Amino acid sequence: MNVDYHALAPEIILGITVLAVLVVDLLRIPKYWTAVIGLVGLFAAFVPVLTLGFCESLDFCTEPETAQRVLFGGSFVVDTFSLVLKGLFLGATAVALLLSVGYIEEDRYWQGEFYFLMLCSALGAVVLASSRDLVTLFVALELVTGPTFLMAGWRKGDPRSNEAALKYFIIGVLSAAILLFGMSLVYGYTGELTFGGIRAATAALGDSALLTIGVILTLLGFAFKVSAVPFHFWTPDTYQGAPIPVTAYLSVVSKTAGFVGLLTLSYQAFAELRDVWGPLLWILAALSMTVGNLIAVRQDDIVRLLGYSSIAQGGFILVPFGAAVAGNVTGDQLEQAFFATVTYLLIYAVMNMGAFAVVIAGANRLKSTLIADWGGLSSYAPGLAGLLALFFASLAGIPPIAGWFAKLVMFSSVLGVDSGWATALAVIAVLNSVVAFYYYAKVIKSAWFDQVPDTIPAAELRGMGRAVAPSLQFALVLTAVGVLVLGIFPNLIADVGDVAKTVAAGF
Amino acid sequence: MCQSRAVPLLALAAQTPNLYSPRPGPQAASASHKGFFETVLDQYFGDYITVAAFLGMGALLVAGAVLASAALRPNNPTAVKSQSYECGIDPVGGGWSQTQIRYYIFALLFLIFDVEAVFIFPWAVGLETFSDLGMGVFVLVEMVIFIGILVLGLVYAVRKGVLRWE
Amino acid sequence: MLINQFLLLGAALFALGVYGVLTRRNAVMVLLSVELMLAAVNINFVAFDRLIGDELAGGQIFALFIIAVAAAEVGIGLAIILLIFRNRRSANVDELDLLKL
Repeated sequence: MNVDYHALAPEIILGITVLAVLVVDLLRIPKYWTAVIGLVGLFAAFVPVLTLGFCESLDFCTEPETAQRVLFGGSFVVDTFSLVLKGLFLGATAVALLLSVGYIEEDRYWQGEFYFLMLCSALGAVVLASSRDLVTLFVALELVTGPTFLMAGWRKGDPRSNEAALKYFIIGVLSAAILLFGMSLVYGYTGELTFGGIRAATAALGDSALLTIGVILTLLGFAFKVSAVPFHFWTPDTYQGAPIPVTAYLSVVSKTAGFVGLLTLSYQAFAELRDVWGPLLWILAALSMTVGNLIAVRQDDIVRLLGYSSIAQGGFILVPFGAAVAGNVTGDQLEQAFFATVTYLLIYAVMNMGAFAVVIAGANRLKSTLIADWGGLSSYAPGLAGLLALFFASLAGIPPIAGWFAKLVMFSSVLGVDSGWATALAVIAVLNSVVAFYYYAKVIKSAWFDQVPDTIPAAELRGMGRAVAPSLQFALVLTAVGVLVLGIFPNLIADVGDVAKTVAAGF
Repeated sequence: MCQSRAVPLLALAAQTPNLYSPRPGPQAASASHKGFFETVLDQYFGDYITVAAFLGMGALLVAGAVLASAALRPNNPTAVKSQSYECGIDPVGGGWSQTQIRYYIFALLFLIFDVEAVFIFPWAVGLETFSDLGMGVFVLVEMVIFIGILVLGLVYAVRKGVLRWE
Repeated sequence: MLINQFLLLGAALFALGVYGVLTRRNAVMVLLSVELMLAAVNINFVAFDRLIGDELAGGQIFALFIIAVAAAEVGIGLAIILLIFRNRRSANVDELDLLKL
C-alpha cells in the first residue's frame, strides 16, 4: 500500500518520542532526560511540518497533485490548515513543557509520567488537526483530553488539585458521551463517517429533525470542550486547582483542539447545515463573551481571572462562526470567518501561554496568586512586570500587540456580513472588549502603580529576577517575541488565508 | 481497497421513510399491490412473534424443570440446610467487605489489555483480504507494532512494581 | 428491519445515564452512569450500521473504539476517585466544594 509517510511524519516522530520518554523513564538515569527528549521530539516533529508546508521549494519533496494530501480514504488530510494548527500545537506544547520543568520538579511528583502524558495529549492534538472523519476525530479528541484529566490532578496530596481533576473528568466524559450520541445520529442519517461523505449526503438528503438533533448534540459536546457558556462551569475550578503549567496547557492546547473540531465539523461536515449551527454558535458566542467577562471583573485571584478571561476569549473566537447566521452570506465571507477564527486561535495561543508563563514566574516567587499581593511588582521585578503588561495588554487587544490584530480580523469578518444578526454580535463583542479592558488593566495597574503590600518582603525579592529557571526564561522570551512579531508584522499570518480557501472551499 | 461507499443513500432513505421523516419516498408511492406500510408492519410484528415464541418456550422449560424436580424429590427441610453457604464454610462478616487495593490495580490492568485485544479480532478477520491484495506483510507489521506498544505498557507496569504481590 | 426499538432503547439508556449523572452523589455511580450513556451510543451505532448495511462496517468499528476509549476512561476515573478517597475518606461529589464558584 502506498502510504505517504512524509505527510504522516509529524505524528510518527511524536509517537516514537512518546514511547522513548516512557522507556527512558524506566531507566535509572536522571528524570530531566525525559523532558529533554520530549522537547527534542517536539522540535523534531516540527521539521516535517515545515517541509510539508514549503514543499514546492524543496527538491526532495514530491508535491501532491491537489492542494492537500489525502490519506486513508479521506479520513486523514494534510493541508495548510492542518499544518498551521500542527505547528501551533507543537509550539504550545513545547512552551507548556518548558513551563512544567521547574514546577513539577519542585513538587517532587512523578516527572517522567507527566511528560509522557503531556506528549500523548499533544499527539492527539496533532492528529486531530488532520482528522476528517468522525472516528478519527473522536479518538484524537479523547487522546487530547484523557491524559489531561490526570495532569490536572498531578499534585496528589493537594485536595484542591484532586477536586479539579474529578470535576474536569466528570464533565469531560459527560461531554464525550453527548458528542458520541450526536455523532451516532449523524451517522445513522447520512450513513457516512467521513466529513466529505456527510456533506454530500446532507446535500442530497436534505434536513430532518434527526439530523438537526445529531448536529446540535455533536456541537454541544464540543462546547463543553471549549468551555463555552453555559457549559463552562468546570473551567474556573479546574483552572484554579490544577498545577499552573497544566492550566496553561488546558487553556491553550486542549481548548484549541476543541475549536479545531468545531471548525472542521461546521465548515466541512455540516457545511450544508449552516442554519442549524449558525444560530447555536451565535448564542454560545454572545453568552461566553458576556458571562465570562462579567464574572472575570469580580475575580481577585489571577489564575481564576485568566480562567474566566479564557472563557471570554473563547467567545471572541466563536464570533466569526456566529456571523454565518445570515442566509445571504457569500462563500468569500465564510472563508473570511474561517480565516478570522484560525488567526485568533494562533494569536490567543501565544499570548495566553505568555500570560501563564508570567503568572508561574510570579507565583514561584510570591507564593501567592492573589492580584492584591502582586501590587508594586514593578518596584522589585521590573522585567516581570513589563512582560505582564505586555501579555495582558495583548489579551485586552491594545495596538500594536498581537491581540489587537486578532480582534481586528475578527471584527472585520463579522462586519463584512450584511445582516442584523452579525451586526448585533459585533456590538456585543465591542461592549465586551471594553469590559475586558477594565479587568486586564486592573492587573497591570496593580503591578505598576500600587504599593507593595506589607505581607510581601519586597526587599528580599528584589534580586531574584535572575533566579527564574532558564526553561521559564526561554518560554517567556519565546512568547514575548511571538506576541510582538505577530503584532507588528501581522502579514506573517496572512498566508494562513490560503487555509480558508482549501478548507471552506466550495460554498 | 478504500473504495468509496456507493450506497445509494437516497434509495435507502426512500425504502424506510418511517424512520427519518414522513416525506413519502418514490418507491413507497409506487408500491401498489401491498402498501409499503403494511409490508413494514408485517415484518415488524413478525419479529415480535419470534421473540414471543422464544420467551414462551423459555418459560415453559424452566417451569417444567422446577415442577418436575418438585414432584420427584423428597422434601425434608432442616435448619442447617437453609443456612447460606459459601465454599463449604460458614460465612463470616457482611457481604460488603472491603477488597484489597491490589485487586483494583490488577483489575484495571486486566481491563485495559483485555479491551485492547478487541482490535485484534477485526484485524484477524480482514487479514486474508489484505494478503490477497498483496499487503499481508504491511498489515502484519502494523499489528506487530500495535502489540509492541502494548507489551511496552506491560513492561512499564512490571518495572513500576505493579504486578508484585506482597 | 427493527430500528425504532433499538433507537428507543438507546435513547432510554442515554436518558437514564444523564439522570444518574445529575442525581447520584457518589463519584463511582456517576462514572457508571456515564458508561450507561456510552453503551446507549454503542447500541445506536451498531443498529444504524445494520440498517444501512455499511460495507466498511463503520458503525461497528466506531463502537469498538468507543468500548476501548471507555475502558481507558474508567481507568483514569477510578484512579482519580481513589486519590480523592485517600485524601478525604469520601467519594461524594457534592462534598467537593473547596473551590468556590
